[in-house]
Parts: sequence; C-alpha cells; structure tokens
Amino acid sequence: MTGNIRRLAGYLILSFAIVTGGLAWWQVVDAQQLATRADNPQVIAAHRSALRGSIFDAQGHLLASTTVSDNLAHRTYTDPAFTHVIGYASLRYGTTGLERAYDDLLTGQADPNPLRGLLDDILARQPEPKDLSLTIDQRLQDFAAAQLKGVVGAVVAIDPATGAILASTSTPTFDPTAISGDPATAAEPMAQIQANPDKPLIDRVRQGVYTPGSIMKVFTAASALDAGAITPDTTFPDQPKQETSGFKLQGFTITEHDLGSIKPALWDLSPALQVSSNIFFAHVGLELGADRFLEYARRFGFCAPLAIGSNGRALPVSVSRPTRAADDGGCTPFSDQVELASAAFGQAQVNVTPMQMALVAATIANGGIVPDPYVVSAIRAHAADPSKGPSGRVLEAATPGAGQRAVSAETAQQVRSAMVDAVSGPIGRIYAGSGAVTLYGVSGVETAGKTGTAQRSGALAPHSWFIGFAPAQAGATPSIALAVIVEGGGAGSGKAAPIGGKVMAEWLKLQAAG
Amino acid sequence: MPIAWRGTELRLLLPLLVLVPLGFALTHVVQTGVLDPGPLGLAIAYVAAILAAHLALVLLGHRGDQLLLPLAGTIGGVGLVMLNRLPQSLTGMSIFGADIGMAGTQFAWFVVGLVAMVGIAVFFRDDGALRHYKYTWAAAGAALLAITFLFGAEVNGARLWLHFGPIGFQPGEAIKIVLVVFIAGYLAENRALLAGAHRQIGPVKIPPLPYLLPMLAIFAIVMGIVVISRDLGTALLFYGIFLTMLFVATGRRSYVLVGLLLFLAGAFVAYKLFGHVAIRVDNWINPWADPTDAGYQTVQALYAFGRGGLFGEGLGQGLPLIGGHLPIPAIQTDFIFTAIAEELGLVGAFALLALMAALVFRGLRVAILARDDFSSLLAVGLTTSIGLQTLIIVAGNAKLIPLTGITFPFVSYGGSSLLASFVVLGLLLSISHRSAVDAEHDAGRA
Repeated sequence: MTGNIRRLAGYLILSFAIVTGGLAWWQVVDAQQLATRADNPQVIAAHRSALRGSIFDAQGHLLASTTVSDNLAHRTYTDPAFTHVIGYASLRYGTTGLERAYDDLLTGQADPNPLRGLLDDILARQPEPKDLSLTIDQRLQDFAAAQLKGVVGAVVAIDPATGAILASTSTPTFDPTAISGDPATAAEPMAQIQANPDKPLIDRVRQGVYTPGSIMKVFTAASALDAGAITPDTTFPDQPKQETSGFKLQGFTITEHDLGSIKPALWDLSPALQVSSNIFFAHVGLELGADRFLEYARRFGFCAPLAIGSNGRALPVSVSRPTRAADDGGCTPFSDQVELASAAFGQAQVNVTPMQMALVAATIANGGIVPDPYVVSAIRAHAADPSKGPSGRVLEAATPGAGQRAVSAETAQQVRSAMVDAVSGPIGRIYAGSGAVTLYGVSGVETAGKTGTAQRSGALAPHSWFIGFAPAQAGATPSIALAVIVEGGGAGSGKAAPIGGKVMAEWLKLQAAG
Repeated sequence: MPIAWRGTELRLLLPLLVLVPLGFALTHVVQTGVLDPGPLGLAIAYVAAILAAHLALVLLGHRGDQLLLPLAGTIGGVGLVMLNRLPQSLTGMSIFGADIGMAGTQFAWFVVGLVAMVGIAVFFRDDGALRHYKYTWAAAGAALLAITFLFGAEVNGARLWLHFGPIGFQPGEAIKIVLVVFIAGYLAENRALLAGAHRQIGPVKIPPLPYLLPMLAIFAIVMGIVVISRDLGTALLFYGIFLTMLFVATGRRSYVLVGLLLFLAGAFVAYKLFGHVAIRVDNWINPWADPTDAGYQTVQALYAFGRGGLFGEGLGQGLPLIGGHLPIPAIQTDFIFTAIAEELGLVGAFALLALMAALVFRGLRVAILARDDFSSLLAVGLTTSIGLQTLIIVAGNAKLIPLTGITFPFVSYGGSSLLASFVVLGLLLSISHRSAVDAEHDAGRA
C-alpha cells in the first residue's frame, strides 16, 4: 500500500502543477488581454473617470466641460439652447450630437494630426482630450431659443457663403447635465425627459421631418427657372379662373388657399410668390416635369442623408424628400401628375427637415451654390481651466467646403428678387412682411423670405414655416439664411415669420456691433 | 504522560510571530495611509492560540507529526490576514451583542478548531470506536445527509445549511469525515478481496458483487447530493476521496478509470437534466456569454487574477471597489484564493499552494508510517479531503473546471469548514502519535 500512496503523491503533485499552470495562464500570459477588455470593471471605471474636452461657442464662451471628482467624471452643460447640437455624453445613455461625432477627439483617443497620434501610441503617452470651438454664437443661439419659448419648434441659421451654422436650436429642450453624471442618478431625469409628450430628445432641426407647405415654392421656382421651364415673366392663362374654380387634374381638383381680400389676376413669378398661389406653382411643377423636379431636388440635397460637418465627424440629418421614401432610402418617382403638382407647392408627399429648408434659402442667398454646413470651427488643445476660455493652440481649423452648385447665379438672382418681393412687395407684406428685419430695429436692409402654412390631416393646426435671408437688397452679400418652424403654429405669417425676422435682425445688429 | 519537547514544531512556528502581525500592519498602513501598525490584537491572539495549541501538545506528551500544525497555522495565518483586509461588514457574528467582525469571527472558530484538534490528537488514541462501528458512522452520516435534504436552508441554489438557533452549520463538512471513516473501515477489511479475486467481463475485471454494492451505494449517494442538494463541489469532492482511497487500497487504476467514466457519464446526464448543472457548465465553457449575470463571478475572478499578475498588487492594494462594492461575490469564501492571487500575485498563490502541497505530503507520510491498514487508509482519506478540496476550489476559481462552491481549507471564512479541517488535523496527529509510540515500543523491545 505504501507504493500506492507514493503514486498518489505523484498524481497530486501533478494536479497541483496543472492548477498552477492554469493560474499562470490568467496571471501572466492572458493578463494583458484581460486588462483591456471593454467589460473589465477597471476599464469601465477608467471610462467613468476619464476627462473630456471642453466645448466653446464662436466667442469662446464655455458650453460644456468635465471635472473629475471621486473618480467620477461630471459633465456640465451651461446652456440648454445648445443641447441638441452638442448632445450629451452620459455614462449611462451613451453619446449623442457632437459628443458622439467628436467622441474620439474629445476623449483624446484620436488626434487631428495622425503623426502626433502615432507618437502618442508609440510613447504610450496619456491621451490628451481635445477641445472644440463651434461656429455658433451663443448670443444668437440664446436669442433664437428665447423666440421659441413656449412653443414646439426649431430655428436654424446658416452663413450662406461658408455653410457655418450660426444658430441651431430646438424646443422643447432639456439640461443634459443631470443625465451625464453618476449613472445611478441619471435614470430619473432621463425618465422625465422621455415622458414629455413633446419629445425633447429630438433635434427638430435635423430629425424633425415636416410637410413644408409654401416654402417649397422657393425650390420649385428656382428649379423651373434654371431648367428653362419658366421665366420670371411666364404666366398661365387658365390660372386666374382656376384660383376660384379650382384646377382639375386627372379627376382631382387642386384648390387655392383662402386669398382673403386679394383679387385673382394673371400673375407671373413675383406676384405669384407674394400671393403664394398654389395654382400658379402647380402649373410650374407640371411644366418642370417629374424627372427634372427630382433631379433638382437631389441637387439641393433632398433624397439623400445630409450631414453637418465632414471627415466622418458629422451630425447626421434626416433625409428630406419630395416623394415617398424608396427602399434604398432615396426618393420614389412621382406616382402621378397630381402628386407632382401638389409637391410643387409643398403638399402631398413632401417631407423636409428645417436644416434642408435653411439650405434652400442659403443656396439662393449664395448665388445658387448649396453650401456645405459645418458647426465645429476649430479643434483646440485642451484648456486646463476652461472657465478662462479656450486654448490659443488650434490643432485644426475648419475650412469651409466649396459647396455644390444647384442652380445658376442668374436663377438665384431671379428667385432672390421674387423672395424680396414676397416679404416687402405690395401683397407680400400681407403674408411675410413680419419677416422683414426692418421691423426689428434694422434700417436700410431688405429681407428675402417665404412663409409656409403646412396643412396637416384632420383638425390639427398647420405648421408655421418661414425661410429667408438678409441682407437681400441688390449688391448686398447675405450674411444669414435661416429656416423657422413652429409646430401647429398656424399661418406662416403668424408665428414663424416674426421669429425669422427677429433672429435675422439680431444677427445683423450683433455683426454691426462687432 | 511525560512532556514531549516538540522543537521542530516550535522552530517552524516562529515565523508566524512575524508573518501575521506584519500582514495586519501592512494592510493597515496601505488602507489608511498612516504609518502606524494599527490594531494588532487579533494577529497576536492568533499566533498565541497556535502557540498555546503547541504548548498543550508538548505538555500532554504528544509525539505526533511536528510539521502539520506549523503548515496549517501558516496557511490559516495567510487566510486571516486576507480576511482582516477585506471589508469586515461582508459577514461575521456578534458575541454577547458585540460585533466582532469577519476576522474576529474567523479567529473564534480558529480557537474552537484548535481546541478540537488538541482534544482529538491527545485523547482520541483508540481508533476502535471508528473502526468497529463504521456502519453506525455511515448510518449517522446518511441520516445527517437526509436531515439536511429535508430541513436544510437553501443558499445560492444549494441546500447545505442546518441552523441551530443563531449558529449555521454545514453538515457536508461532518459527512465528509464520516465518509472517510466508513470507506477506510470498509476497505481495510475487504481490500485483499477487492484487489485480488475478479470476475472478468470482457476486458473489465470486476470484484465479486457483494463487495461491489457498498461502493455503488457511495456512487448513488454522491449522485444524490448532486441531484437533491445541488451541491456539485461536495459531490465531486466525496467522489474523488472515494476513488483515491479505492486506488490506494487496491492499487487498481482500472477502478479509478471506470469510476471516473461513471462520474463523467453521471455528470453528463445531470447536465442534460438539471438546469443548475447546465448553467454551471455553460458558464464554465464561456463565462463571457453572459458576463453580467450567470458568468459574472467567474469573469470578475479572472479579471482579479489578471490584475494580480506575477508579483501581485500588494497586500491591501488590490481588489478595487467598483461602485463601492467588491466586484467578486463570495470573496471571503469561494473566492478567497482569487483575492490572495490578486494581491500576492502568482508568486504568492504558488507559495500558498506549495504550503498546501507540503501539508498533503506530510499527511501521506503519516499514512505510510501508520501501523495498520485502517489508520493508513484513514490518513490517506483525510489528507486527500484537504488536498482535493484545495485543488477543486482553485481549479474552479481559475476556470479549469466548472466553478463549485466549496471552501479553501484553513483559509476560507466559515466555522464548519475550519472546524472540520482542524478535526482532520487532529486525527492525523493522533494517527502519527500512535505510529511514533508503537515504533518506540518496537525499538524498545528489540
């Protein structure tokens, strides 16, 4: 039996050796792999305590910054007007907005200069977070947000020449600070936000998809003029009669909106845009034709996803379409003439984002070139004390894109002239006059614009729209183009146009003040 | 009873004087950041208790093995340092209304265990009571098992606790020792028959049926434990002890092989039939399939091993709190070894395993020197229970086998386990004492 016990001792020592080998696997061989796994609580803890770059407005005002205490990063957002642009970086809910698009830079995982990034990797240097400067001026942003107080809607303003976003705000908004800190306390405020029936999480500028109504006529006019389907002097002989009797098309009758005291007449482009004649633009759409309508739509950015920014770091914008969505995400052909004619005045299956319509306005203001929108003006070195403003060290400054020509400069000029009339022409004043910047303390400047009253099904109040730009008088270079929507706001002239006028006037005043 | 100086034992116990208080002081300094040894009362009391046990053995003229107590005392000392380093709020008892914390409770059980060890080592000198009444012991063990099945409290899906007022008790620990006694008695009586005469069925030689039945009964009991009490670790341990003793008694590897195949077949059936077994096994194969729930414990333990690395994070410097909690559940019992491996590294883990291996070898030496088959098989079984239990829990921690909830002898928090381990130690001391006395007697006669 002694021999058996000795053999047992041998087996046991072998077993101890195997177990030690197993320990060596985890503790030495596989240790590095374990240490870097994403679900390792230490990796998660490092993420929880990671510093994050700050975000500043165009003037260097602090919008978002992170402090670390008790191994927990606290992200503080200073201005809810920026919530939908900046988004949030929540330990519990992930990232949205610019926090998502620029996550690699804000965390320091990437460097705008690939060589320096490579050097960081080689030297195993601690990644340094990067700061962002925005093209948005907080003063204009706050002013726009204040105009939307108490209503559900959005304002987005662009510098037509560069595509720089000047303001982009959506209501209702929320303070993302509460959902960005301790994950344990983030659930309750998030639940409150989600319970709000007006859906504050949605950025209506980019994700709100609406029927445009009459603001679409700007697009229709520009496309038809550029295609040679009409001239500024084109008239349709049947139009005056159809203003009252209706335009019978394929068994369907297109009717005019309530013209009030205005007497129907034989209108060419300018009066038709001032009156916002649906009959006139139905004819224009039919003259343009289904194929060319869609071709111009694509030139303006419809039928494909838009993005604010470039180089893979961009805020996505929902697709705007004049027709139904195709399986590939693009646009289906028009199903019939009625749909085409209705799309020409912004009804039927047309669905657009405020961002897209701001680009339509900006394109006219920019001589026919669709600008490339962007919102981050510079990537900067991290400022140790963000309350003292951004670092002077710019790692990468944004250069405006060349844009995409949609219509000729001549066409743009013709539409611009009609849009100026639509705000301050004899009839235009009735519909869009309240969008004129002169009403809000700016003198000697003309405004181009167009209102929209987007009919909705049933008894729902129409959406109130306005697109426009200023200064628009001959020879002036427009410095701001915008789109305004107030959900269920009724007539465009009632809610949206005054907001558009005030925001443009504010921007001109801010520029004049320097 | 003449005094027996135990010089080797005393010399080997001297390092404990430094080891345990130093461990306490180090963790205190690291955890508080104050250069101050902190409260050392518990450490000193522990060393004093071990030395008192030594002194009792000396005064009572004990001639048993002198390495067993120092080895167990050192292993237990490492465990106490670790338990003292963990948050004391994890568990623990209060005595007369005073909360003595986890390490304090463990120390109280050390005292109980040492007293039991000395008592058994010194006064339990006639093994007739074990040898002759083996079926009575077996019946008592089976009864205990039955009572546990019927009245036991369920913890983490396993039914292995009996409660007497405030004190919980794990009958499995007592049954383990009773099982060893029974198997040793049975095999000592029948080992010649089991090793010799065979009926040949194909390539397999099997012993005569009447001798086979008690062993099949043991197999059935083990499987019963798996099915009814869901205690996989204990079942594996019992079965391993049985197969090891069978091998030592008969020298037949084929028995072990057939036994292992039977166990694997039984385990496979259990895997197919019982959800809790399937979860354990699936979780062993890929804990990352469900790292936040079913695989959580295993995954967190592996991260702890990884953090430890070769030299460890240092006493008191590992085991980071995640969200204010230690990420590994049952760190003070099933995963105490993982905690030690993290803070002391592979080197420290290896050292602890080496101490345990030395203890096992010393136990096997007691078995070899034993004067009769029963004592020898008893020593083998008791030693194996300690050694296998260590291997099963460490292999489970390190994902070499499916994780089972059993304790690391002398180290894990828990009174039943600690008491049982010291009873084993006492029995081994008692066996080696008799061998030594008999050997002297023989020498005197010659």
